[in-house]
Amino acid sequence: MPIDVGKFLKSPEYEIKITTYRDIFQVEALERDRFGEEYRKLSACIMMGRNDLKKMGLKAGDRVRVSNNCGSVVVEVKETKREEPGGLAFMVNSPWSNALVSGDTGGKGIPEFKNINAKVSLVKDEVTTLESLIGIFRK
Amino acid sequence: MVTCTGCGLLCDDIEVVVENGKIKETRNACRRGAARMRGCMNRLSPSVNQKPSDIKNCIRKAADILRNARSPMLFGWSNSTCEAQLKGIQLARKLNAAIDDTSSFCQGILIEKVLQKKFRTCSLEDIRDKADVLVYWGSDAQDSLPRHLSRFSYFPRGESRQRGYEEDRIAIAIDVRESNTAKICKGHFYRIPLKGDWDFILALMDALSGKVPSYDSKKMLELASIMKKAEFGAIFLGIGLTYSIKEDFDILQKLADMLPNINIMPMVGPYNMRGFNEALFKETSFVNRVKFDGKASHDSSYSIVEALRNKSIDTLLIVGSDPLSSLPRSAISHLANIPIICIDPCVTLTSRIASVTIPCAYSGVENGGSAVRMDGKVVELTKILTTNFPSDEEILTRLTEAL
Repeated sequence: MPIDVGKFLKSPEYEIKITTYRDIFQVEALERDRFGEEYRKLSACIMMGRNDLKKMGLKAGDRVRVSNNCGSVVVEVKETKREEPGGLAFMVNSPWSNALVSGDTGGKGIPEFKNINAKVSLVKDEVTTLESLIGIFRK
Repeated sequence: MVTCTGCGLLCDDIEVVVENGKIKETRNACRRGAARMRGCMNRLSPSVNQKPSDIKNCIRKAADILRNARSPMLFGWSNSTCEAQLKGIQLARKLNAAIDDTSSFCQGILIEKVLQKKFRTCSLEDIRDKADVLVYWGSDAQDSLPRHLSRFSYFPRGESRQRGYEEDRIAIAIDVRESNTAKICKGHFYRIPLKGDWDFILALMDALSGKVPSYDSKKMLELASIMKKAEFGAIFLGIGLTYSIKEDFDILQKLADMLPNINIMPMVGPYNMRGFNEALFKETSFVNRVKFDGKASHDSSYSIVEALRNKSIDTLLIVGSDPLSSLPRSAISHLANIPIICIDPCVTLTSRIASVTIPCAYSGVENGGSAVRMDGKVVELTKILTTNFPSDEEILTRLTEAL
């Protein structure tokens, strides 16, 4: 059997800026069942423009690790309907995006929810579960 | 007709079909409102230390925890009735506790400016009847206040705007993203870079003063011309703008001063966030981030984010909010160290780690009361369904008595 060398190679990482937004379908899913599959599907994802996806060798449906010094999550890639400015990605406001938001507010109490610096790389890992995001808080 | 508690619009034209004690169908409600009225799948159960209990025992245990706390904080409040909010403020006074709400990390600063009358503002009915220029700035109303455009701003016929959006009204979107609202503002979408709002305001002020703006001069002059000609306009300020310019709202005031026919209106997501802000403002002159200690002190260190970051609170009572879901994970590790008392209709991420959980009724569905709409109008809420769950107001009353 040939050895799959690829799986030992680390995928390249790309710098990206992320801004968060609200989505009515995700809010609806949140109201109904914040632990449900629908909410996870609509939350654990990152939207990027076609050019950025091409540059990073990604396609819709891929899973990526999005990480910075605040945290790291694995989410699904989605393609925006329109072309976006290069280097800008979008995540709906959720526990997944909040894993990447800095808690340092400069003493002002308002975190940078809409201006997140992170690195993105293709992975084969499963999408981060909600349980793993709250696990460390359990007493 | 009943009132929807899905968002800060508090739409009062909702029809509901009730069958077997449940809301089977809603008419006129948006997707968000309908979901809120139908309720969650996972109702919260009473528990102490993750073990099933009854509400009476939970209240007793919560009182014990609060009695022994040296620096408690009471947080949440944006999804509670005005009556419950007042009980919460009274409880905070009694306990010498800090009290804060979700406006602390979104629109609180703006609402405070409006209550201090630093911005010219108006009612949603004024917008519907008179407005000809509508500016959505850092706000995707279509997704966060879904009936804003259809009930009050762009689409309806108003007293002085009988031709609606076809001829009488111009909608403008200023955003970093072509949101669903921006898509409606065809031809009047101004895309700005991340954190570009400050430069955009400066350029717009240049254009309004007759100078050539340094930033996209052609489009900026066009925007300035539309805003100058407005007979009755409104800028709807969303959290996109708030997060971008943070506390530097003086520049926005200067812009508003240059536009005498334009009103300023903060967009408010949760249904009664403004109610809490107004109630606390009336009692303390501050809309959030207050610590009672004989007198009321206000400081950013009493904000939920800073209090958790600085580990300056030793107990957290949460009413109708889920900080574990809505706040940055890197700021809230202290939640793992302190007792949490959670009052909510539903299981939340935070309730899963709480020491005491107390289920309450869905306000505006299972109990009535009043709430303050995003523009300051007081609206009565209707009880639609009968439930055995006590309201959050009742739980707070019993908790105060138990103390």
